[in-house]
Amino acid sequence: MNQDTLLQVRNLKVSFRGEEGELTEALKGINFDIPRNRTVALVGESGSGKSVTSMAIMQLLPARNTVIDPASQVTFEGRDLLALEGAELRKMRGKDIAMIFQEPMSSLNPVFTVGDQIAETLMLHAGLGRRDAFKRAVALLTEVGLPDPEKRAKAYPHELSGGQQQRVMIAMAIACEPKLLIADEPTTALDVTIQKQILQLLADLQKKHGMSVLFITHDLGLVGEFADDVVVMRHGEIREAGSVEQIFNAPANPYTKALLNCRPHLDSRPLRLAVIDDFMQPGGYVKPGERVRGYEASDEIILDVQHLAKSFDIRQGLFGKRQFHAVKDVSFQLPRGKTLGIVGESGSGKTTVGLTLVRLHQATGGKALFHGKDLLAMSAREFHEYKRRIQIIFQNPYASLNPRFTVEQILTEPMMLHGIGRVQMERVKMAQALLDRVGLPARSLSRYPHEFSGGQRQRIAIARCLTLKPEVLICDESVSALDVSVQAQVLNLLQELQDEYKLSYLFISHDLAVVKHISDQVLVMNKGEVVEQGDSDAIYRAPAAAYTRKLLDSIPTGWQPQAA
Amino acid sequence: MTTMINQAAPAATETRPQRGLWAMGWRRLKRNKVAFCSFWVVMAYMLLAVAGWLNILGDGWRAQIAVPYAPPSFLAKTVADTLPPEAPVAGGTASAPALIMVTPEEDPIGKEMEIARQNMGKYATANDAKLESLPFGADLRGRDVIHKTLKGASTSIFVGLLGALLSIVIGTSLGSVAGYFGGKVDDFLNWFYSVFTSVPDMLLLLSFAAVAGRGIKTIIIVMALTSWTGTFRLVRAEYLKLRSREYVQAASAIGASDARRMFVHILPNISHLLLVQFSLLTVALIKYEAILSFLGFGVGVTQVSLGSMLAEAPAELVQGFWWQMVAVTIAMSLLVTTFSLLIDGLRDALDPKAR
Amino acid sequence: MLSYIIRRVLQMIPTLFGVMLLVFCLFSVFGGDPSLVLAGKHMTPATLANVRAQLGLDQPLTTQFMIFVKQVFTLDFGTSWGSQQPVRDVLASRVGPSLTLSGALLVVDLLLAVPLAALVAYFRGGLTDRIVTICCTLAMSISALVYIVAGQYLLAYKWGLFPVGGWGHGFWTNLLIYVPLPMLMGLMVSLGPDIRFYRSFFVEEMNHDYVRTARAKGLSEQKVMLKHVLRNALIPVVTTVMMSLPYLLIGALVLESFFQIPGMGNEVVRAMNNSDFPIIKAITVYVALATMVFNLLADLIYKLIDPRVQLK
Repeated sequence: MNQDTLLQVRNLKVSFRGEEGELTEALKGINFDIPRNRTVALVGESGSGKSVTSMAIMQLLPARNTVIDPASQVTFEGRDLLALEGAELRKMRGKDIAMIFQEPMSSLNPVFTVGDQIAETLMLHAGLGRRDAFKRAVALLTEVGLPDPEKRAKAYPHELSGGQQQRVMIAMAIACEPKLLIADEPTTALDVTIQKQILQLLADLQKKHGMSVLFITHDLGLVGEFADDVVVMRHGEIREAGSVEQIFNAPANPYTKALLNCRPHLDSRPLRLAVIDDFMQPGGYVKPGERVRGYEASDEIILDVQHLAKSFDIRQGLFGKRQFHAVKDVSFQLPRGKTLGIVGESGSGKTTVGLTLVRLHQATGGKALFHGKDLLAMSAREFHEYKRRIQIIFQNPYASLNPRFTVEQILTEPMMLHGIGRVQMERVKMAQALLDRVGLPARSLSRYPHEFSGGQRQRIAIARCLTLKPEVLICDESVSALDVSVQAQVLNLLQELQDEYKLSYLFISHDLAVVKHISDQVLVMNKGEVVEQGDSDAIYRAPAAAYTRKLLDSIPTGWQPQAA
Repeated sequence: MTTMINQAAPAATETRPQRGLWAMGWRRLKRNKVAFCSFWVVMAYMLLAVAGWLNILGDGWRAQIAVPYAPPSFLAKTVADTLPPEAPVAGGTASAPALIMVTPEEDPIGKEMEIARQNMGKYATANDAKLESLPFGADLRGRDVIHKTLKGASTSIFVGLLGALLSIVIGTSLGSVAGYFGGKVDDFLNWFYSVFTSVPDMLLLLSFAAVAGRGIKTIIIVMALTSWTGTFRLVRAEYLKLRSREYVQAASAIGASDARRMFVHILPNISHLLLVQFSLLTVALIKYEAILSFLGFGVGVTQVSLGSMLAEAPAELVQGFWWQMVAVTIAMSLLVTTFSLLIDGLRDALDPKAR
Repeated sequence: MLSYIIRRVLQMIPTLFGVMLLVFCLFSVFGGDPSLVLAGKHMTPATLANVRAQLGLDQPLTTQFMIFVKQVFTLDFGTSWGSQQPVRDVLASRVGPSLTLSGALLVVDLLLAVPLAALVAYFRGGLTDRIVTICCTLAMSISALVYIVAGQYLLAYKWGLFPVGGWGHGFWTNLLIYVPLPMLMGLMVSLGPDIRFYRSFFVEEMNHDYVRTARAKGLSEQKVMLKHVLRNALIPVVTTVMMSLPYLLIGALVLESFFQIPGMGNEVVRAMNNSDFPIIKAITVYVALATMVFNLLADLIYKLIDPRVQLK
């Protein structure tokens, strides 16, 4: 083993035993090295086995249903980690190799203060007394940039924000100066501006402590700025491994190429996004032309929202109530066949806007004129007819389809409720046609949602909306939960449908690149208020508001030669 | 249950066996050997219960066919010596030889005796010589313990099932309305719920039972009226959670009415919980029925249930007649054990998280 | 905090009113005419009317209800229709035995069930877990009545290990001589479900992400269990126990009446059998009130032991 190699993974093969005793291979014998003092990024979409790899290194996989092939080897400084047991294994965990996880909130014990939880590691591995350990914990919290660390050390996890919790997790992980830090999707649950800070912190700490970092993520764009080496995984295999420069500049594997091109970029807007199939076919991917977007004076406005407001009552004190303003004075216009994007971080009120327009929340102020008629002032009976014309697609493809319905029921129900099609046969035919349109086989009709993947479910959800032939489609984070490659496919589908049916989209997302790609006009929201509004190209080129600039600066830029 | 079997059969032959959630649950249950065996035992009990209501099984439990406390046949010899002197049995003298010889003319009741003697043939079975032992012994009045247990178990299961069903209906309707609509309706129903839960369940049950009196129908209603709170809380919480689920919101967005969302979209999604809750309640109510009957608030005096049989046990045990209690204990324990194992299995099999 | 308590206390008023209404409906509206029982078999219309007047049954229902409400707030339910003693005195003399028996039962049950549940959860999926779970299921399947009847017959009547039943004077006499047998029977009934119930709390906690973090830190399984899991799982255990405390007041109903322990539960059964309505009404209302108070206390303790809880 090379002196500079810290961790060496050889032929790592992991299977899981299903409930019927059948084995599913999660890792099909992978090999890679983590050199000392370097950051290695493990990139892959869901089901690629990237998290399984990290858990296998730490021996954190559930023993009951995990089968690790005996030929597998994970060598850390000359020792085979997979052979470690008992006290030796525990000494390795936390001291030599530390780990941080995706969900900082649930990964911290809710009933102990964060200071105590950091001190626990120090008492265990560094042999410090309680008092010294706590002092050191405060110092660590200072190091990871937590404001007012003395006070925060005595706080419970739920009293901190998501970003602060992740800083606590990092402090806990670096407490014993580990040689390797495994970060498993550490920023996926965080807002984009916070993500930027956490990534910066990790990069700084890596340099300062001279440790190695194994950074696991689904987002290839994220790793360009600070990883040294990249390992691309798919379906339990390694597709490509190399330096970050090579991966970004001269990717050899078509899958890597596809991953790099699937994500919408801020500086280009192709007519159609690249999908994986484009790269897998002989001939490769030919970049299509650019699409020009933006509102035009001749556009027919079909939805005119004026001073929309929504507030919730929060109980306070003995009988008191406090109003929480989720949305304050939002106005916009949506023309036929165009897309208005709404971007904002969590808590910006962007989702509430969408829900009030379809009256899933009752608005507390303002008007929403749809063809001149105020949707918000209608009676429930009057609105029923309009439900057909404004439809909504939700974020979570796993929650938005009734698990007890077959696809046929899901697709024919809206038609039945609105008297579309005279008999069931006719409706089933229409449903079949729509399934075909969104790219699913007709035999899907008799299946249940759990038999489909996330992307397929989102297609079904889109088909359900299309059954009503709506004019406006509200997409509430509709592609956010999908893998990048699937995201591109669904975005392409949405674009095709817009071109075909002249649909108007209200596209709500936290993802600036996606919004830029699909929107004609963009509305930036923060804490319930509109920060900035305008043509998407204009806003991205020259943001007027400081908040918009901050958002744009947080977008990972990928690998840049000067940064390397 | 039969529909589940029917659904599962074709599914299993297909190349891609994953179907509806019920069919998947059924397949999982089949794989869990303990739960699957329990399922069939419970089904056998249900059959027994049905047979009991239709008076096919255990109908003859009232017939006093043996001597009082006749021992089980496998013990007959050893116990015979320790038996107390035979208690006089009404009507038993008819077959006894007349000790004092009087002519029919002298005898003041001679005529009636003569008629009685002529009619004897009609009551032949009732007046037959009493059996000295029975397969599992007899009770105070010489009734067959096995028949009595069959009939008693049938009554208990009937009470448990119907009580649980009624209780589920009450709890689900109130809980779904409270959870779905919220607001004032919820406040009111919650008040109703808190009133019922602030009285400990046994006390509440006894209060209702004391007022309502005895009898199978009364008991079913009383138990339903006092046991709906658990279901209410469960269903209310589920509706509260599910009504903001995206698929229910999507149903709202496509124009589904409140009733449709409540019963077509949400209800099927908690049906597995209701099945488990129903099973739990059935077991609980069978146990409660026993206690109620034991304390004298249960089934009527002319009816038999496992509880009313247990109520006879203390007096019997002191005299050493243990078979009635053992018979009831076996019948009840087997039912409750298998039912509990089945519930555990159902819970795992129907858990949507497990897939 | 204070405003929370005040609001909760105010919320008790409608609930208490509801309980009073429920009790009143049960016993004064649907309960039939108790005077028929009380006047005896050889009553004349005159004695019947007399009894009715004494009980206030000739008054309109609303007046009767007002009288009942007044009784609740003045703690004066008149005299027992059975023993003719003041209800207050009867109940006061019944609380002690009930608390002695149920208290002992609760303490021993907790001391056995919680550690066993933790142990079983620690070995979850293993042989120990399976054996204990099966034992619990089997123990649960046998009716409480069988334990009591057979237990008394074998342990007391036949083998003479305990007194058959009854109650003495003095706390220690009762606790050491008369309580053990009914307590043992109570344990047979309660241990099975309790172990299973508490086990589920532990198992659920063990599936949380923070357990993974604790393992990743290098803590041993025992330490993960004893520090991280236990502290979290005790939260629902403590709340469950707090909520069950008012049940101590009515005691173990069947146990008391079968072993002739002069507690609340015994009194309830006696009163039910003899249509002694004042006693039942008083017990029901006060136990309900106790339940509400203990629910509030449970929530306050919940706040103390779970830092996440915000009382609003």
